[in-house]
This record gives sequence, C-alpha cells and structure tokens, in this order.
Amino acid sequence: MKILVKLGELFNASRLIPIESAHVSGVSYKTLGEAPTDFLEALASAGEKVSVEATLNPQSLDPKHLSKKLPKHLVEMQLKLCEIFDKLGFMQSFTCTPYYIKEPKKGAHLAWAESSAVVYANSVLGAWTNREGGPSALAAAIIGKTPDCGMHRAANREPNVVVEVEASLGNEVDYGALGIFLGKILEDKIPLLRGLKNPKAEDLKQLGAALASAGMVNIFHHGKSVKVEGKIEKITVEPRDIKETVAELKTAKTRKPDLIFIGCPHCSLREIREIASAIGNRKVRENVEFWVCTSCFIKEKARAYVQKIEASGAKVLTDTCAVVTWTDMLGIKTIMTNSAKTAHYAPTLNRAETILAPLKECLKTALKE
Amino acid sequence: MAEYTVLRGRGIVEGFCKAEALVSTKPISFLGDVDLATGKIVEKRHDLYGESVKDRVLCFPHGHGSTVGSYVLYSLAKKGLAPKAIINHKADPVIVVGAVIANIPMIDQIDTGRIRTGDLVEVDAYKGIVKILKAVEG
Repeated sequence: MKILVKLGELFNASRLIPIESAHVSGVSYKTLGEAPTDFLEALASAGEKVSVEATLNPQSLDPKHLSKKLPKHLVEMQLKLCEIFDKLGFMQSFTCTPYYIKEPKKGAHLAWAESSAVVYANSVLGAWTNREGGPSALAAAIIGKTPDCGMHRAANREPNVVVEVEASLGNEVDYGALGIFLGKILEDKIPLLRGLKNPKAEDLKQLGAALASAGMVNIFHHGKSVKVEGKIEKITVEPRDIKETVAELKTAKTRKPDLIFIGCPHCSLREIREIASAIGNRKVRENVEFWVCTSCFIKEKARAYVQKIEASGAKVLTDTCAVVTWTDMLGIKTIMTNSAKTAHYAPTLNRAETILAPLKECLKTALKE
Repeated sequence: MAEYTVLRGRGIVEGFCKAEALVSTKPISFLGDVDLATGKIVEKRHDLYGESVKDRVLCFPHGHGSTVGSYVLYSLAKKGLAPKAIINHKADPVIVVGAVIANIPMIDQIDTGRIRTGDLVEVDAYKGIVKILKAVEG
C-alpha cells in the first residue's frame, strides 16, 4: 500500500482506481534472486491474496526440457518461488504475453509490469496501464487498484512527437531495431509513427518490446487516423538508422550459434503455425539447440503445429525463455534470435554473444537443407 | 565560509547522506546493467561500465527497461551493495518502487549534468536538496 500511495503522490494521482487485471514481473529466480524471494514469502505467509485476475511473467525453467539440466538448488528455489505465487493466488501463466490468454477490454484499466506487455496493451489493444515495477504490480494485484495517473489519464496518452519512418521495414528484426533506436532517443515521449506499412500485430509486438527495453516509452501511436494538432517535434528515421541499430545489436564474431531462440516476446498461435509450416520436413542440425518459446496455453492450442516443430528436433519450451533461464550453465555462448529485445539483454543477462536475424535466416541456420 | 552549489529537486524517498557521486549521462536498467553479485555496471555500452554503485550517490537521467529493476535495487540493498542515494532528472516508476522497498533516499527533478563523478555531495531527500560539498578538480 505504501508503494502505491507513494507512486500516486509523485505522479499527481488524486485517487486509486479499480483494475481489471494485474500482471507481475520478477517471477524468474534467475532475475529475482534470494532477497526478493524472502520478501514475497513474507507477504504470502501474512495471508495476502490477489483480489483481481492476476498473471505471472515467465519463470526460469521449462518443466519438460530444462529442469533436469540445471543445478538442483536453483530448480528448488524456482519451485519455491512458484509455490509462493500460487499461495498468493496468481494464475500460473508464466508468460510475457498474458494478452494471448485473455485479451483485456479496450479502455480497461490494468496494472501490468513486463514492459513489452505494457506497450502492447496500450498501443495495440487500447487498454490502459502504466509500466509498473514488479512490486507495484504485485501490490495492485492484492488491493485490486492502481493510482489514477500517467497512462490512466486520457490527456497523458496523446502523441507529443511525430516519427516519420522513411526506412522501409522488411521484417520483424527491422521493427525491433526501430524500437531500440527510438527507445534511446525518446525518453518518455509518446511517438506517433508515420510510414509503417500494414504492420502485423506481431511486428508491433517486436517494436514495443524493443522500445520498452531501450527506453521508458509506455505507448506509441500509428496509422493515418491519429491526428496531432499544433506545433509538434518531428524525428525522421532513415534506412541508415535501422541498419546501424541492427549492426550494433550483433555482437558475435562467429556465425555459428549454440542456440537459436524464437519467442521473445512469447510466440502467438500464428507465429507457431508459421514456424511449423516454414520448417516443413527439415531437421535441426547437429550441435545446435533450437528453442521456440511460448505459454503453455498457446502450446496446448497449437498442439498439431508443436508436434511438427518438435519432429524437426526443435524444442517448444513453455513458461520460460532464453533471457530468464541460465543459458550460460547450459554451455550456450552465442545466441541467434529474431528478437531485438533479446539481442539487447543477452550480452549482460546471459553473458552471451548475439546474432540478430529474421526468422527466415534463423531457420536457415538451424535446419539442414 | 565555503560556497556550495545547491541543487533543488523533489524528495521522493526520505533520507540523508553524504557520499561520493557517480554520474552517468545514460539511463539505467538495474536488471541487465547492474550485476546482482557485485553491484558493478556490466553493460559494456554504458558509460559507467566497470564502476560499482555501492555506497555512491548514483546520479543518472532516468530509469528504463525491465520492470524487475525494482527488485534488483532491493537485492542490492540487502547485500549492502546499493547506492547511498539515487538522484534522477525524471523519476521512473520502476526506480521509485525499488527505492521505496529498498529504503534508498531518492530525489528527482535535478539536472544531473551539474554533478560530476567524484564530487562529494550531501543529499537531503527530506527537503529534496543536493549540495555539492567538494567538486572534483579540473
């Protein structure tokens, strides 16, 4: 409660408002560590419970593929953490894309952490949420309310900078690179993007995830229907900017990754279907791991495609992703991915070198001819 | 009597301290940029790469990135690796929540460009004031 009142005071909220759902981050023991686990355990022991629908971000392991390969004490700590969240009443969703499980209503007030989901909810789904810190989303889940400030006020959601995208964005990597590029220069400004050509929702997911990784942006607008009035700052994104950003995100000197990772943020049903059909009857090469990450909810829905993907030798992991598990302990030194967000975080969070390339190229590297 | 530079901002988490400043021109994501085990900045592209945040008055424009950053601040505090205070130009919810649960004095609305790494500063987060007691030479 102290957390929420403090936030409210700072950002000029006069009241707390009810929320439709909460989504918390800080579920992976790898990113969370010991001290916050004690903090959460104390909350659960005090009998606290969530009072609204509340979902969890990915944890650090996949029950099927990773739990036997990782050190026992880490697996035990993760299980303990999951039990604490269970006791607090959270749905065991373990995904960064809770909107694929249940799409929030347009205009609904939410308290979501997980920066990529925040941007997606505000910009693509039209729901209203601030970028909550892990603990403030947790507090909001318990009391069912959030301070009425920031993204919860219509006036604060209007664009205040126009971004003319002159670069043509050919694939999901270009969208991610645009996000990283803009995240670094926009601070907390709200961009109206012009020049995007019929982006898929998944392209916007990549854009938003990258935008939030590199910046403090909560929302973007796009499309011709959005109008701005008066004098407004303008930024132009040239083809060179995208090219240079993609180049900066590649840190590996080798062209041979140990892991090819698709699913940051977690794959949609459509993405799983596209991967299955692109794989066809090909098999994964020796000496390389190929992971496709999603939620157990989508995996269940996509069962036929999952079978096809796994028949190639690839693994469809649920509940986790490469960034929040201990890839270094699995001997992975170089990660190839189509996600700019992963490429942004992997050098520090995974101590891994990165190769950023679109799905098509990732598949070419992963599969035998 | 010596003259001090006094910067006035907004106190966010109350507290008082005197320590050496560590100043960045870049935003910080505590998850990713800062190593939990050592308190050092491990992001190679960061201008504070290799520096430890421990016991410094950490000054940077604003937070960004992962929402797990709040918990990272809490962990650093529990291990005695946290900054003595946080000074921002613009407070971001992830940093604010971290500072609240970790009990780290915090002030925002300060032009962090006025402070330099190595300056001895006094932070009064009750009043939202940063005093530069001794500026580095040069």
